[in-house]
Amino acid sequence: MKLKDGFILRTVAGETVVLPTGGVTNFDMMITLNDTGRFLWELLAKGTERDELVEALLGEYEVAPETAERSVDAFVARLKELDFLA
Amino acid sequence: MHKASVRLEQLMPIILEQIKAGESVQFTPQGTSMRPTIYGGRDQVVLSALPEKLRKYDLPLYRRDNGQYVLHRILKVGESYTCIGDNQYEYEEGVRQDQMLALAKGFIRKGKYHSVDSVSYKCYCRFWHYTRFLRHFWYWLCGGIKRRTAKLFGKGK
Repeated sequence: MKLKDGFILRTVAGETVVLPTGGVTNFDMMITLNDTGRFLWELLAKGTERDELVEALLGEYEVAPETAERSVDAFVARLKELDFLA
Repeated sequence: MHKASVRLEQLMPIILEQIKAGESVQFTPQGTSMRPTIYGGRDQVVLSALPEKLRKYDLPLYRRDNGQYVLHRILKVGESYTCIGDNQYEYEEGVRQDQMLALAKGFIRKGKYHSVDSVSYKCYCRFWHYTRFLRHFWYWLCGGIKRRTAKLFGKGK
């Protein structure tokens, strides 16, 4: 699983924001990420499969495996909805 | 993950960075000064890099000396620019070239894209400009009637 090309990630007023670019940078498509979201985003930018994302989340945060799975699935589902995945 | 809630002014460095990189930038402006052309919070504006020369009726984004970002129309080009919002009657004179940041190349009004290069848009700009004094007079008249009515019926104290 990998993100599409052309996103920029910036920190604005303490918030991590992500913007799709590529000819037109649409600020109305901008989303913000929390720490976990940013962690997953950076892994997805490199290309990481679902189980690896869950594993990485468990290694980084003290969460139950079910919680990590739910978080990853919800995050990936949202990215698919936004058409951000390649 | 959620829709961003940061203010537009906080995003200006990124907007300008993207324009500098050759991108066009689309965002939803706020405010009422450009009505009825652009409704803040509803319509979107597409900005691109500044051309070599700005012209009358161009719609640039500029920064006032107090730090405020403004998207208003140029109505006079001289040593500096005179600008005004389509919903305003007081001209802002002395806007300098170094305050100019980007130029609107189009806007999305009620979901429909309008290029500033289109003939209909150019006609609209001129019509709106040349009828400004009529609107101003009309609002002045309505305001006067309202004030007199309020006075007559003892309201507005």
